[in-house]
Amino acid sequence: MNSHTEKIGARRQRIRADHTRIRLILFLSLVIALLLAAVFAEWICPYDPNGQDLSIALQPPSPDHPFGTDRYGRDMLSRVIVGGQTSIFSALILVGIIAVGGTLLGLLCGYFGGALDAVIMRVSDICLAFPGLVFAMAVAAVLQGGIQNAVIALAAVSWPKYARLARSQTLTVKNLTYIQAAKLSGTSSLGILFRHILPNIAGPVLVTAMLDIGTMMMEIAALSFLGLGAQPPTAEWGSMMSSGRSMLQTYPWVVLTPGLGIFASVVLFNLLGDTVRDYLDPRNGQRKRRRTK
Amino acid sequence: MRKKTWTTFLAAGLLISLLSGCSGGTLAQEPSPETSGEKSLVWGDTTFNAENGEPDINPHRDNSGWACIRYGVGETLFRFSDSMEIEPWLAKSYENTDELTWVIQLREDVDFASGRHMDAQSVKECLEDLISVHVRAAEDLQIREITAEGYTLTIHTAEPVPALIHYLADPYGCVIDMEAGVTEEGIVSGTGPYQAVSLVTDSGLELVKNENYWGGEPKLDKVTVRTITDGDTLTMALQSGEIDVAYGMPYASYPLFENEQYSFTSCATSRAFFGTMNFESPVTGDPAVRKAIALGIDKEGFVETLLGGNGYPAEGVFPENFIFGGDAVSTETYDPEEAEKVLEEAGWIDTDGDGIREKEGTLLTLRWLTYPSRQELPLLAEYAQSTLGEIGFQVEINSTADHNSIRTDPSAWDIYVSAMVTAPTGDPEYFFTYRCLDSSANNDGHYHSDELENLAEEMSRTFDSARRQELAVEMQQVILKDNAFVFASHLRMSMVADASVTGLTAHPCDYYEITADLDIGG
Amino acid sequence: MKKYVIRRLLLLIPILLGITFLSFALMRIAGSDAVLQQSEVSGVALSPEVIAARRAELGLDQPFLAQYFRWLGGFLTGDLGTSYISGSDVFSVFVSKLPATLLLTVLSMGLTVVISLPLGILAAVRQNRFTDYLIRVCSFIGSSLPNFFVALVLMYLLAIYIPVFPVISEGLSLRSAALPALTLAIAMSAKYMRQIRAAVLEELGKDYVTGARARGVPFSVILRKYVLRSCLSAILTLMALSLGSLLGGTAIVESIFMWDGVGKLAVDAINMRDYPVIQAYVVWMAVIYVAVNLITDLCYRALDPRVRLGGEKA
Repeated sequence: MNSHTEKIGARRQRIRADHTRIRLILFLSLVIALLLAAVFAEWICPYDPNGQDLSIALQPPSPDHPFGTDRYGRDMLSRVIVGGQTSIFSALILVGIIAVGGTLLGLLCGYFGGALDAVIMRVSDICLAFPGLVFAMAVAAVLQGGIQNAVIALAAVSWPKYARLARSQTLTVKNLTYIQAAKLSGTSSLGILFRHILPNIAGPVLVTAMLDIGTMMMEIAALSFLGLGAQPPTAEWGSMMSSGRSMLQTYPWVVLTPGLGIFASVVLFNLLGDTVRDYLDPRNGQRKRRRTK
Repeated sequence: MRKKTWTTFLAAGLLISLLSGCSGGTLAQEPSPETSGEKSLVWGDTTFNAENGEPDINPHRDNSGWACIRYGVGETLFRFSDSMEIEPWLAKSYENTDELTWVIQLREDVDFASGRHMDAQSVKECLEDLISVHVRAAEDLQIREITAEGYTLTIHTAEPVPALIHYLADPYGCVIDMEAGVTEEGIVSGTGPYQAVSLVTDSGLELVKNENYWGGEPKLDKVTVRTITDGDTLTMALQSGEIDVAYGMPYASYPLFENEQYSFTSCATSRAFFGTMNFESPVTGDPAVRKAIALGIDKEGFVETLLGGNGYPAEGVFPENFIFGGDAVSTETYDPEEAEKVLEEAGWIDTDGDGIREKEGTLLTLRWLTYPSRQELPLLAEYAQSTLGEIGFQVEINSTADHNSIRTDPSAWDIYVSAMVTAPTGDPEYFFTYRCLDSSANNDGHYHSDELENLAEEMSRTFDSARRQELAVEMQQVILKDNAFVFASHLRMSMVADASVTGLTAHPCDYYEITADLDIGG
Repeated sequence: MKKYVIRRLLLLIPILLGITFLSFALMRIAGSDAVLQQSEVSGVALSPEVIAARRAELGLDQPFLAQYFRWLGGFLTGDLGTSYISGSDVFSVFVSKLPATLLLTVLSMGLTVVISLPLGILAAVRQNRFTDYLIRVCSFIGSSLPNFFVALVLMYLLAIYIPVFPVISEGLSLRSAALPALTLAIAMSAKYMRQIRAAVLEELGKDYVTGARARGVPFSVILRKYVLRSCLSAILTLMALSLGSLLGGTAIVESIFMWDGVGKLAVDAINMRDYPVIQAYVVWMAVIYVAVNLITDLCYRALDPRVRLGGEKA
């Protein structure tokens, strides 16, 4: 290839990188807006999300109630806003727990290997093979229903994914020369783990976690369907959809509006995840291959 | 250009193969049209499943008797009229010769679907098997000995059982041919208008006409019962015409069928939605709190709006179509101001202004245990949470399929709200012996009343039905006075059917459904 | 090679022991038991003596470890016991539910590949153009709808609005399986499409593709001969993940469509505390897990001989 095409390639790459940066800023600010809305849900919502008034039950969307009302006469818009708080934060906390916990375990396994690795990997095998449903229902029976227990149950069966990811990444990075150099220069294991290896594997973990947020929202919704989700009057998108599902044909706004909430947030987190991946690895194929060559 | 055509081709090709794959299946599996002129009906039901205690139609097992009688396979010696009065069915008459002896005359024109003729001997065999395998039946009936002679059946009981005839009308009392026995699938041979040909637990049942039915020729040739546990699936199956009758549809779907293409049949049943107060709890142990709860539940609003009118606000244990039910007793009505006054006087005051009352450091928190499998219960919980919240309660709902293990632990809940058929056999004694006495196995709230114990003792040896009815009223009044239970509503049972279905009538006992009259037009 | 397979199969032993013990313990901690659950649903107020007798009959009165070892003993001799609720042989009940689950698994996997492969490739080829955006929006919608909702919408559209398929299953047939399979396929396709798109994009960006195009090799040939092949390993990874959960039964979809598979069996068994059935289910899950992982690894190797299996040292 001559130098001319290479130049064009370089320019294209720069343009693409600029685009990625713009997209990153855009999606990041949208996600932050979503999170802020969730944090300040109580202040934003126009009505008391739990305030019942049977005389206005099941009203279709109107200027007073843009999302309509549910069968207790509660304002759906307020419930969708407050429900977002529960849904988004429980999904975030869940993903946070499994990403951090799983990654740490994976790091240790990958770096130290040996018996520790064998034990943790066997435990992760058991957790992966164990039916999540049995676990969730058992946890719900022990701790009773409720969103926090749904999170606990899902966390217990979902962490191995991150442990495996972190472990395999650690194994690749571990033998690179600069790590060997750090080792020789007497850096402590902890120092190497957190200062050198972790930053290297944080990217893939972060991307996986972003894309996982939507999946976990779905998992929580599935548990709500089985009666293991949020307890009333807590508004939560998944349980709102599952308790309103028999009104799909008769009073569709009751089930569609929380669905809109899930859709918007899953899309946002996914777009952000995709963009972060692009940003961390512009032209991901080439750079990686150069490094390993 | 080339790549465009290529990708389009790829996508189109795969889509076509997908569609043809499916439609190929469609053609292959198309059910054969009814050319033979056979009349058949498909019945969709949410209750015919093992979890509900109805794994098959063997009346001697769990609650399967309900399925046996509901689907027209079995019949009992006595049955209930529309006002829940006892009338003869497979029996012609009975005589109570002394407290322990019942002489029952059977019909002489009844054959089992198996072909065997029904006489006293066959009924004796059936009842003997029943009491040897069905614990509740054995405890109800207290049978010491049965003698059979021609068409005369004599039952000797170990103790006086005033409600014996009522118990014999319970679905477990379906008379089946023990010589034909119970097949591996759980199929029995009864005397009803239909006989079962195949059965798959949690899936369904195939019935065909019983050609020898003693009560006239059944109108349908074939009935298919489909178990459909999900209410929305049931709704859509009726909409798509896959089923002709739907039993157990969610109320929210009713508006879809309120037109001339479908018909409804409804009636009040004794299935009550009610709360059991926990007397061991520091909160509901306080009579004032219990009274405030009774005053703080808006039964009218619950029934009219949340159930869309599909129910009846309850006063006491029994619905209004019972002589001793409905207005025969009186209890608190919704009055939030009075409830606040009651709490105030008892020392439950909101001192810190957080909207929740407290007394001597105890918050007025009500742990409301209930379960989601009955669609009304979560609605009641969430509505009461709001109305009780307004008078200073903090209601914490625990709605879980696991309520059975929790309710036996009195430290885990304050009020247990459940659904129960309070008079499955039309007799009032059952509810009290089951739920309210020191000897009751399911007195979960550990309620005790000397007065109630005395009245119950009297009822257990009273044969005179007028006196039993009086006692039923008095006993209800005692538990209502103590607010040991609060009854929110009684179920209005409805079946939705395609307009071409005729001869389908809801019955207050909720288990005479597929009868010889059931028909489908066109 | 044979050694490797055996070594992997041996892995089943610790997993089986761990997983069955865990589920036994969990169910025990969860409280209640089959006798109580059954007495409640049947509305029978059993006397304490009857309950005790029934428990003794099922062996529920024995210490926890004794119960576990008794079950394990049976399991090792090939006896999975009888259901506490129905009294029928657990193994045969379980096996009777497998065909439904297998059919649903195969059909939904097939549909997923058929939907996601062309669309994923199309999106990659038309990157950042309208088709790409449209496909990606569809993928987002597919991955943000709870499956019970998808099920109801599909039922409404394809059984009532345009009556093509039945709402409730009419036994094991393609026609009956279509809606539940489609419900499952929609969520999976949404995920697959994105992965396939990414895999194709990565491949298309490689030098050899640029080189081949420069030499005038038709794009369709490149796509078919090289790119598609490299997508296979991405699909394989995804399929391995999905297969495990599909074969484990999909409780919600099964119960909505009245599809008589193992997922529904498991949920009912948990609700009724029917330990032998739960244990059988858990064993099944462990076997699937090990088998699927092993097969996937072997496939990787078949696809790309350079891949070394974990046990073989270079």
